[in-house]
Amino acid sequence: MPAITVDSLTKSYGQELALEELSFEVEDGEVFGFLGPNGAGKSTTINLLLDFIRPTSGRIEVLGLDAQAHSRDIRSRTGVLPEGVETYERLTARQHLEFAIDSKGADDDPEALLERVDLADAIDKKAGGYSKGMAQRLMLAMALVGEPDLLILDEPSTGLDPNGAREMREIVREENERGATVFFSSHIMEQVEAVCDRVGILRDGEMVAVDTVEGLRESAGSGTTLRVTVDRIDDAAMQAVRSLADVTEARLEGGDPPVITAQVDGSKTAVLGELEDRDIEIQDFSTREASLEDVFQSYTTGETGVEAR
Amino acid sequence: MSTDTGAGTKSDASESTASSINLESVRAVAKKDFQDAVRSWVFWGLSAFFFLLIVGITGSLAYFGEDIAAEGATTAMLVFFASETTRLVIPLIALVLGWKSIAGERESGSIKILLSLPHSRKDVLLGKLLGRSAVLSLSLIVGFVAAAAVVAALLGGFDVVDYAALLLMAMIYGVAYTSIAVSLSSLTKSTTVAGAAMFSVFLLFYGVWNGILEALQQLMNRGTIDGVSYTAELTAPDGTTEEITQERLPDWALFVDMIDPGNAFQNTITVLSSTGGDELGTAYPEYYFADDVPFYLENWFSFIILLIWIVVPIAVALYRFDRVDL
Repeated sequence: MPAITVDSLTKSYGQELALEELSFEVEDGEVFGFLGPNGAGKSTTINLLLDFIRPTSGRIEVLGLDAQAHSRDIRSRTGVLPEGVETYERLTARQHLEFAIDSKGADDDPEALLERVDLADAIDKKAGGYSKGMAQRLMLAMALVGEPDLLILDEPSTGLDPNGAREMREIVREENERGATVFFSSHIMEQVEAVCDRVGILRDGEMVAVDTVEGLRESAGSGTTLRVTVDRIDDAAMQAVRSLADVTEARLEGGDPPVITAQVDGSKTAVLGELEDRDIEIQDFSTREASLEDVFQSYTTGETGVEAR
Repeated sequence: MSTDTGAGTKSDASESTASSINLESVRAVAKKDFQDAVRSWVFWGLSAFFFLLIVGITGSLAYFGEDIAAEGATTAMLVFFASETTRLVIPLIALVLGWKSIAGERESGSIKILLSLPHSRKDVLLGKLLGRSAVLSLSLIVGFVAAAAVVAALLGGFDVVDYAALLLMAMIYGVAYTSIAVSLSSLTKSTTVAGAAMFSVFLLFYGVWNGILEALQQLMNRGTIDGVSYTAELTAPDGTTEEITQERLPDWALFVDMIDPGNAFQNTITVLSSTGGDELGTAYPEYYFADDVPFYLENWFSFIILLIWIVVPIAVALYRFDRVDL
């Protein structure tokens, strides 16, 4: 049984379509990255999963239950980190957690939860004085209450520094190992690629790609970008580089000294060798693997291809 | 697209949106809401305010009201003056307390914290009503109980029933206005709109309602609506009696006057305490009515009216809040 089934989901506000015929599934036990630029419809989808808003048409099942008819049952087994939400400024972290524990009928220890998110020293401080990152840690701790079967994390890295974001991913991993399914939205590929089994990319209310991280990487055209700084260049040399078997594309970026960028599938040394054979001095070179960020960019901004950036 | 499952089906969720009520959830929400308010200065400020209000009125009575004291009607007088004041003050406090209860949480997004937990929207509304009512009621209790000793000392006597009647009805009156406030607050995402709604309610019962009665009176004088004539027997100072026949507003118009929660509040106090009905609320003289007084114009019916003011607003809100996008 999938943890989340979204089927032909449409949500419109008057004339404006926020989601259009969106369909996808999240498997039980996986970490699913829900990726898309701001405004793509990620929060709308999450609001629909949690019955905060109602679909115009389509069907949603969470943990095998209808998202509207059984919302309470779903939420009793789900931990949620909502996005862009203020905490209760007059309540302490302990009171926030006691409220969540009380609400879920769980028996967690507030202190232990706060230790997991590295907020234990602020346990009796009122949340009104928290920084954005501290508030985010508190909300993550609230989401963990009651060992939920499903974690829905909406932009969980918001306000966290790189170290905090890493700790957050660590918690996602731990929760997943415990057996929880994690649904994790973000607009930054880097944050999901490290932890997610599969990634769905949302664009303008439609799912444009759903695949494993490796699958997405392959679809990016697994090439490497080679940048070579040379003392001089001529058309014949460029032509020679382009005609190498392993080079799919090469461009002269000009400048002084000139820089050549080439998309290389196989051996990089062939390019360097070709240039040296022509007595062109290589001053510097660097390589960069095609990143998932490139894939994400290509899906969400350009029409096709990775070069659109 | 990834894994499509079957053809797109039209949502069949049209009327399955009604949520359930879980008392444990209501309690959890109310507790959180109460803590949230109690931690601020509001609760103790209100308690101190009610304390000072009662002590102030009692002090004035003790100082100026020696004649009254001689008649031994001091607690009744205290109840009279205190009910006149609380009638005006409690709506203000309740409206201010309830103003942001739901709209504020929707505006800041923190309602998503509440509703990410296994609470239904109905639980949230009822919990808020309970939490805010508890803030007002408990501060009334603290203020009144603390003031009781001062009252007893200053007035030299103390009628517990009258005093308790005032306290009890002030609490119920407060719940009625809290119900109005929380319900209105749930109808909008904007605290500005909610604030305007609170202000409108305030205007309605502080001004417009009296205006309606005034207008009805005018209409009756012009013959647009038929008044009811009644005969009253007046006793002149020399002991002779005189029968005069006059017109009064019809029963339904008198009922309009009864609906005002403030009048209902004071009418119920006359039922419970020894404070006279001719000074408080709407209480109509018996000679208004040739036959029996219609049940809906009797003072006890004001209990029903207050109950309706508690139940109807929250019932409307419970129905509607289930059906909106947050």
